[in-house]
Amino acid sequence: MRFFWHRDRKQQELRQELQSHLELAAGDKRSRGESATDAESSAHREFGNIALVEQVTRDQWGTRWLEEFLQDLRYGARMLRKSPGFATIAILTLALGIGANTTIFSWIRAVLLNPLPGAGDSSRVVALEELAPSGDWLPISYPDFRDLRDNSKLLDSMTVSYPMALAVGEDRRAERISGELVSGNYFNVLKIDPEVGRFFSAGESDDAQNAHPVAVLSYSFWRTRYHGEPSVIGTTIRINRHSYTVIGITPKGFHGSLPGLDFQIFVPATMFAQLNATGDWMLQDRKTRTFRVLARLAPQTGIEQARAEIASITAHVAEVNRTTNEGVSATVLPIWKSHWGIQDSMRAPLGILMGAAGVVLLIVCANIANLLLTHATSRQKELSVRVALGAPRSRLVRQLLTETALLSVAGSVLGLFSAFWLVGSLRYLIPTAAARNLLRPPIDSVVLWFTAALAMGVVMLAGIAPAIYGARGNVNDVLKEFGRDSTGSGRSQTLRTLLVVAEMALAVIAIVGAGLFLKSFRLARMVQPGFDPQHVALARFSMSTAGYDAAQADAFCRRLRERLESQPGVVSVSYADYVPLSVAAGAWEDLQIEGYVPGASENMKIYRSVVALGYFDTMKIPLLAGRDFTLNDDISHAPVMIVNQTFVNRFLHGEYAIGRKVNGWGHWFTIIGVAQDAKYYRLTEAATPYFYVPMRQIYRPEFAFNFFVRTTGSPDQAIAALPREGQAIDPALPAFGAMPLAEFISASLFQEQIAANLMSLLAGIAFVLAAMGLYGVMAFAVAQRTREIGIRLAMGAQRSSVLRLVARQSVVLLLAGLTAGLLTAAALGRFVSWMLFSVSPSDATVYAFAAAATILIAVAATLMPAVRAMRVDPLVALRYE
Amino acid sequence: MAPRYRNRIELLQGTLDLLILQTLQWGAQHGYGISQAIRANSGDILQVDTGSLYPALHRLERQKWISADWKLSENKQRVRVYRLTATGKKQLLSERSRWEQLSDAIAGVLSPAKREGQA
Repeated sequence: MRFFWHRDRKQQELRQELQSHLELAAGDKRSRGESATDAESSAHREFGNIALVEQVTRDQWGTRWLEEFLQDLRYGARMLRKSPGFATIAILTLALGIGANTTIFSWIRAVLLNPLPGAGDSSRVVALEELAPSGDWLPISYPDFRDLRDNSKLLDSMTVSYPMALAVGEDRRAERISGELVSGNYFNVLKIDPEVGRFFSAGESDDAQNAHPVAVLSYSFWRTRYHGEPSVIGTTIRINRHSYTVIGITPKGFHGSLPGLDFQIFVPATMFAQLNATGDWMLQDRKTRTFRVLARLAPQTGIEQARAEIASITAHVAEVNRTTNEGVSATVLPIWKSHWGIQDSMRAPLGILMGAAGVVLLIVCANIANLLLTHATSRQKELSVRVALGAPRSRLVRQLLTETALLSVAGSVLGLFSAFWLVGSLRYLIPTAAARNLLRPPIDSVVLWFTAALAMGVVMLAGIAPAIYGARGNVNDVLKEFGRDSTGSGRSQTLRTLLVVAEMALAVIAIVGAGLFLKSFRLARMVQPGFDPQHVALARFSMSTAGYDAAQADAFCRRLRERLESQPGVVSVSYADYVPLSVAAGAWEDLQIEGYVPGASENMKIYRSVVALGYFDTMKIPLLAGRDFTLNDDISHAPVMIVNQTFVNRFLHGEYAIGRKVNGWGHWFTIIGVAQDAKYYRLTEAATPYFYVPMRQIYRPEFAFNFFVRTTGSPDQAIAALPREGQAIDPALPAFGAMPLAEFISASLFQEQIAANLMSLLAGIAFVLAAMGLYGVMAFAVAQRTREIGIRLAMGAQRSSVLRLVARQSVVLLLAGLTAGLLTAAALGRFVSWMLFSVSPSDATVYAFAAAATILIAVAATLMPAVRAMRVDPLVALRYE
Repeated sequence: MAPRYRNRIELLQGTLDLLILQTLQWGAQHGYGISQAIRANSGDILQVDTGSLYPALHRLERQKWISADWKLSENKQRVRVYRLTATGKKQLLSERSRWEQLSDAIAGVLSPAKREGQA
């Protein structure tokens, strides 16, 4: 605004200055004796064209480009207002493309690029993970963490982190709050200063267990729960039925150390045993691999150097602790590459989504380029007249680009608004358990820059070619044709041909992508899980938060089972420490199998479930040999286990398994039964060895108790009964997550489902846009030839030959676009093959479908204008001149 | 073309700047005054076109070689008066020496005999 005001004043002054010149000149002449009127008119004559002098002087101010730009803006806005249909379509499709790209980029930023918002110098923070002999990643046990922390020199400071749902508040009205159990120096590693109060002191940072009941609250928790009262510092809050002193508040904008998630309360990890109601052994056992470890790289240290140092430390630790750590190594990773957290499962889907959104935006650009080209062609005369009148071509290019920029900015602003509204939908892309404390991805300055860059890219991609073409039209040719309909120059045809081919190729790529993921998802959904999840209700009880020991837990479960079995419609009840097809990995045990010699680096950590009586009946897992667990399989009898078929095939060479011995937990177990294989972790997993042990022989207080209730009909009544009956026994032991088992396990196909749903959505959008673009091009091409067609018809050409004429043009384009698209899709397919379940990235049906769909739109886009062209009355077409 | 323009010489590109700076060395002056001074000092041969003068003044002002102020003239008229700045003075010196080199060179080309004689 100030610029305009300043410019107006300067213009005013120039006028006054020139006026004073005239007056001075006239004054001189008068003093030399000329009459007043003569003096004035001769002064004017000598001065020349005042407006021209004003103009050339103004040009010296260096603001000419700005004035021209403003002129272009006004002109562009007027042009767009004159063709509202064109403007609306261009802006809306751009908003769609840019909105999708901005949304997905903001997710990538929140989850991968800026995983530790609020932390200082966060690019120096790295994650440590242990590696099993098999190469699988493992969490780190507390003793291993201490060895790493105390021996590393290249990692400045190191902290554990353990996300955990905590029961916070008065015991009967406790709420589940997301908490992080951390080392005392956690806030130093992340370089964060307290908003209020203090963080953990040196004294509170030692390894003494259950000695420091202190808690730090997050800013948002403090604001919502304590209205931002500083007096909360020093007060006591109840966490998992224990008293903790609040010592400090984290600053605003800090949300804990797990990317994309929001944590509200931070407690020393040395309180782990108290909060989990376990014994002190949990933090003393090297095999209890529980923690995530974060560290800050020392100055001038690269991640490679740190990795080498950590590898040598773990090699030494493994040598000293052969029984627990043999073959276990550790590595250092940037946060975004680490495995614990949603970023691990989101990395690939987000990358693919970004690619798909990019394809959509490219199609939008092609469509807009095409519309602009059409627009420029119909404005050829106007533009040529301007060139003839002396407008430099560069000026016309600039003006046409300004129009594209106007479209692009309008589309981007609209897209940005939709992104603000869409970012929250990230929660539908991650498993429900994690979505509970998902952070809404912020649209920060980096995201805004990204959007601005996109808007710029759109102008370049969609605007430059049509602008150059529009400004280039040969003046003479066009003016000669004045009043006649030009048939479009060769150059615009070439450009347009390229656009059509590109658009078809992009549509093919989008459809192939969606097709592959959809087919993969459909096949995965048809996999039999090996148990029957229908008519089963599920609910979970956490005995450890209630402080139960083994006998109390057993008594509670027995009573709950009795109460549930007496409910109408209940067939059977059982419980286990693991729900099959949970997205979370289950527990495993290192086994030694009699008569089996493992290979040098063979992973003998076998996944297992600890189950109660009646588990196999309730889940409908058939026993192929031997017997089920009985009441007698308890602590006073010899340990027993049931293994699955793959276990027998792999470790017992498919021989008779009953009576064979297996060592685990330091005891020899006898195999008493063989169960049919089931799916344990993911529906798409390969056959996995697995075993079951009875709850009455193996009990750990930290177990989750998952109750399964099989019913005759719908499990709804049992879902209501589970928490009610639990409360009746102990009101302080709440049930959570009561739902049909079938619904719970659908989460195991979550990734396949997201990929399939989102890819089909984006491919659908791409398809519709490409169809629109194609139709636009073909319709315009035919319209341009209306006169020619009219002449042909007038000369007696058959309508069918006219149709052939129009069709021939599009068949060539179609073939070129199809070939380009199919080849590119095949090349890109390699990158997603690992995400596909029993579908080859070059699946013939998918490619055939993509080709067929593209041919269909191409044919429709050609036929409709062609039929219209055939109906042309030759007279009308000729008179059109 | 009017007869009184017959003796006029088109100014070489860039020489107008030199003339303006030189004129302003004698003191602050408004646009009309500058054009009159150049005309008088050149014996009516150099006549500066307003369409060249004002763009040149505004360009020099933008380059900060001259600065401008509104003042009242002797007959109580508001006029825009230009004066030489410190950088403008330096610029004048360098433009002058360039101009002298140029005119020597041209003189040398135009009277080669003299040079041969020297050789």
